[in-house]
Amino acid sequence: MSRIKHISIVIILAFLGLIMLLDLNKIPNQFEYANSIYHHITNNAVGETGSLNFVTAILYDYRAYDSMGESTIIFGAVSGIVLLLSRKTLPVSSHGLSFIVKRTYGMLTPFIFLFSVYIIAHGHLSPGGGFQGGVILGAISIIFSIVYGSEFDYKRYTPTTKTLLETSGALLFIGIGLIGIIYSGSFLSNLNILNSEPGSLLSAGSIPFINLGIGFKIGAGLAIIFYSMIQKTFKEEASL
Amino acid sequence: MGLRIIIAYLIMSAAILFAVITAVGLIRFPDVYTRIHASAVVLTMSAVMLSIGVAIYVWEFYLSIKILLVGLIFLITNPLATHAIARASYRRKIAIPQVKSIDEYSGYLSRDQE
Repeated sequence: MSRIKHISIVIILAFLGLIMLLDLNKIPNQFEYANSIYHHITNNAVGETGSLNFVTAILYDYRAYDSMGESTIIFGAVSGIVLLLSRKTLPVSSHGLSFIVKRTYGMLTPFIFLFSVYIIAHGHLSPGGGFQGGVILGAISIIFSIVYGSEFDYKRYTPTTKTLLETSGALLFIGIGLIGIIYSGSFLSNLNILNSEPGSLLSAGSIPFINLGIGFKIGAGLAIIFYSMIQKTFKEEASL
Repeated sequence: MGLRIIIAYLIMSAAILFAVITAVGLIRFPDVYTRIHASAVVLTMSAVMLSIGVAIYVWEFYLSIKILLVGLIFLITNPLATHAIARASYRRKIAIPQVKSIDEYSGYLSRDQE
């Protein structure tokens, strides 16, 4: 039985490998891309958008509409998880970890917040951006829940606040898109307000503001996801 | 290759030595607590020495400061994680050794309950 299984797996894998090997020939040569969009972006992205980070320039300027779709997917995922996992009862408190851990994270958490804000605000200058900084922002809420117990997190940073932050992030994104219609006639076009030379903090038009909106949206969304998942397990392990 | 580069390489190779010690300790030690003791070496010694070595290697003020901050974060958080793992596994009675000559931590735990 197991031998037949192994032989059939090997046959299927060999078949798939053959198909992929045949498809390798269809990948075009790299020199055919000379006049393509990649060439245009590497030559003109700084002049057109003012962003030194080309990934951010593509994400929030050339295809910002697609990024809005991605953040809508996360919004849908958050809504679905909360719908499936939420309970009517209040979350149960836990005692949290030991004194050493609590005190050290009490000193570290402001710096974690500062780091996430740094990554969000420098999204158009250095690697990072709204998504990455937002994940660190969501980690702060996870640290609160694990280290201090979920009751602490519930009191300091209520689900209403999280929902407010997430919605305002999404509204900031869409609002910048709507201002783009008034300003230059197309949805999510790059506003040229607050535009200094490329490389400074307030450059690149509307990209930093979109980064800010995405960051708060992702951070609050991940916190909501984690928060609606832990309610059951924390009741069972009240003191660890 | 100046003296600074050589010093940086020396510190980085010492970091690699500590990482090898960690790998050997993870394989050779018998249970959870001694393995935690071995794995604490790789972040507190290896990562910190590696960040110091890289900071000497690049030798620009703001860049070196940033790398040293990363090392400082490692230095603060790793003993914390080791402590939390050891404490949680002790309280859950995971892999408590059968034969032991001294157990000082149970007294601290009962004091912590109050």
